[in-house]
Amino acid sequence: MVGAMEIYMLLPKTNCKKCGLPTCMAFAVGLLGREKKVDECTPLIEEKKYEAKLKKLREVMAPIENASETGLIIHPERCFGCGNCVVACPVNVAAEPTRSAVGLGPESEKVILRVEDGVVVANNLKECRRFGPNKTLCNACTATCPSKAIEFV
Amino acid sequence: MAEVVEVIIVTVRDIFQDEAGRRSRFSDEYKNLSALIILDKQDMIRLEAKDGQKLLVKNDVGSVVVAAKTSEDDMHPGLAFMYNSPWSNQLVSDNVCDGSIPGNKRIKATLSTTEENMDITQISELQARMQS
Amino acid sequence: MAICTGCSLLCEDIVATYENGALTHVKNLCRKGHGHFQAAFTERTVPMIDGEQVTLDRAIAKAAEILKSAKSPLLYGWSNSTLEAQAAGIKLAEKLGATMDDTSSFCQGILMERILSGKIPSCTLDDVRNYADTSIFWGSDPSSSHPRHLSRFSYYPRGEKRQKSYEEERTCIVVDVRKSATARLCSNYYFRVAPGGDAQFMEAILAVLEGKIPKVGDKKKMIELGSHLKKTKWGVIFPGPGMIDSLQDKMELFERLLAKLNEITTFKVIPMVGHYNMRGFNELMLEKTGFINRVSFKGGAAAHGPEHSALVAAKTCDAALVIGSDPLSALPFCTAHALARLPLIAIDPRRSLTTDAAKVVIPSAISGLEAGGTAVRMDGVKIKFEPIIDTNLLSDEQILTRIMEAI
Ligand code: SF4
Ligand code: SF4
Ligand code: SF4
Ligand code: SF4
Repeated sequence: MVGAMEIYMLLPKTNCKKCGLPTCMAFAVGLLGREKKVDECTPLIEEKKYEAKLKKLREVMAPIENASETGLIIHPERCFGCGNCVVACPVNVAAEPTRSAVGLGPESEKVILRVEDGVVVANNLKECRRFGPNKTLCNACTATCPSKAIEFV
Repeated sequence: MAEVVEVIIVTVRDIFQDEAGRRSRFSDEYKNLSALIILDKQDMIRLEAKDGQKLLVKNDVGSVVVAAKTSEDDMHPGLAFMYNSPWSNQLVSDNVCDGSIPGNKRIKATLSTTEENMDITQISELQARMQS
Repeated sequence: MAICTGCSLLCEDIVATYENGALTHVKNLCRKGHGHFQAAFTERTVPMIDGEQVTLDRAIAKAAEILKSAKSPLLYGWSNSTLEAQAAGIKLAEKLGATMDDTSSFCQGILMERILSGKIPSCTLDDVRNYADTSIFWGSDPSSSHPRHLSRFSYYPRGEKRQKSYEEERTCIVVDVRKSATARLCSNYYFRVAPGGDAQFMEAILAVLEGKIPKVGDKKKMIELGSHLKKTKWGVIFPGPGMIDSLQDKMELFERLLAKLNEITTFKVIPMVGHYNMRGFNELMLEKTGFINRVSFKGGAAAHGPEHSALVAAKTCDAALVIGSDPLSALPFCTAHALARLPLIAIDPRRSLTTDAAKVVIPSAISGLEAGGTAVRMDGVKIKFEPIIDTNLLSDEQILTRIMEAI
């Protein structure tokens, strides 16, 4: 996963404040936290000399922008389809004490994680423990993954 | 001139290579995931090799040209990994012990960089060698 | 529900949808299993003699002719065939006086022998899920080879006595030459051994269990491992090819380790069988011949020995039938070379290096997908399955029976 520093290196580093933030570093942090969009840095968009940087920035931002509201990102191309996350996710376990919880493939519509076509898919993300007012720092799915196919931003 | 490096090759499994082999043993996908040797950083430096560099892997049994890949594991200089495949089997002797267990896990071989135009050994070439 | 014959876990909770000759949607299959199911639609074989397409009848007749005229034929493969096909194969071997062997011969066989004879204690994977608090992957990397092993049985699921599972009640330990995908999941308990160093490591564990100072490894870590093993209530070891290849003729050291561990607590062993029905073949052969593999039926009675291993027989036989296996890909070059010189008969649903080199190719239905039958999971549990795709292709069992009838 990219860090704020890596994003900062791709900004104009002029601290011109056009994005509404005092510094480029603050803007980088904003991008990472998905509070800001790349297009808000108008110099980067408008000035031709930043073309290469802009292209690279859009590349590194793509997975972050695609992340769900909980910040969960899935990289299906890395996934083994092993089901470790499916069996470990506390929401899955609570929804299916006799299936997901004991290692079987889920049947209930209430689970978050399941394996389809050989790779993991996520549904019902509003149920994720990292979401909503009572959110916790659950990391059961990322900690049990052998291939870093799930990440949080 | 880069050195010739001696290594012990251990054959291991990889799920992506396995998956590709189930779909087809004759695809580029399978070749690219199989004709690989995974090396420690230090060995890569000794060979002056970057990821994708073609290497000639050679021992008493046979030889193949495969692509180098830097290991993500902690340090293991002198130890290299190849995925089980017709490429790694070119190097496996069949008379370890009483001839009953091939020495898949400890293959001695030398590595060297190849000339510019040497390409990865094709599956058709491996088949021709078997049938010769 | 379908079952997956992609590996010896034989997962039974697969939901697959097919439409117009393609897999449209499938649930619960791992990546490896998905590749296995997709294979039903690519590179299928047709009946062939010398590279020319022929009718199935002619291919079967030719196969029978080759086998009949051979003095010492080898029948090889079997670990990707149903028990029913294996039984038909044994009958054929008896009739031909042939040599019969499978992949266990140069991998899990020396361990499987000890499991089936009861020398090394074993249990089912369901026991592992219900009771195990320590799982040791020794020279095995299930995340790569049996992707759902940890989630279905050995680390992550909740079991009868293991409701708090991996969070609090289970530990997973990896002993391997590299930090494999599985080792990354239990990095606190990852022990790196040098290639061939497994016997030494075993001695070091025995030493710490006996309260002595270990000779190899990080002493502190070894002592910690020793006390963890002593505290274990119900442990299980999953030896893979890495351990077996490294130990070779020192298997009795492993027996000693198990005996020692079982003086202290409960420890079981389940071999990490690769192919979906290798264990079935070993069990069936043991029942019918008294040996798990490497059997020659020459002269009528079953004889066993290293000279009947496929590696040796490939060089001494004068014809070979290969079923559900691709030895030209999977075996050492010299063995592949020896096999390729023979009149080869390949029974395989799909094109392989072996079918390419074969004199006769006989296409078969893919078991689990197109043909039903019975198989034995890595832990000895028998699993019966029905086909989920319609086909006109014959099953392995039907093909073998027809060859037998034609001899
Ligand atoms: S608009 Fe762009 S250049 Fe100006 S401060 Fe914001 S990030 Fe920096
Ligand atoms: S963070 Fe926790 S609740 Fe959310 S998907 Fe992952 S395991 Fe499930
Ligand atoms: S995301 Fe990770 S843990 Fe989940 S199925 Fe894929 S590889 Fe396994
Ligand atoms: S773990 Fe094995 S049996 Fe289960 S789905 Fe994957 S390949 Fe098939």
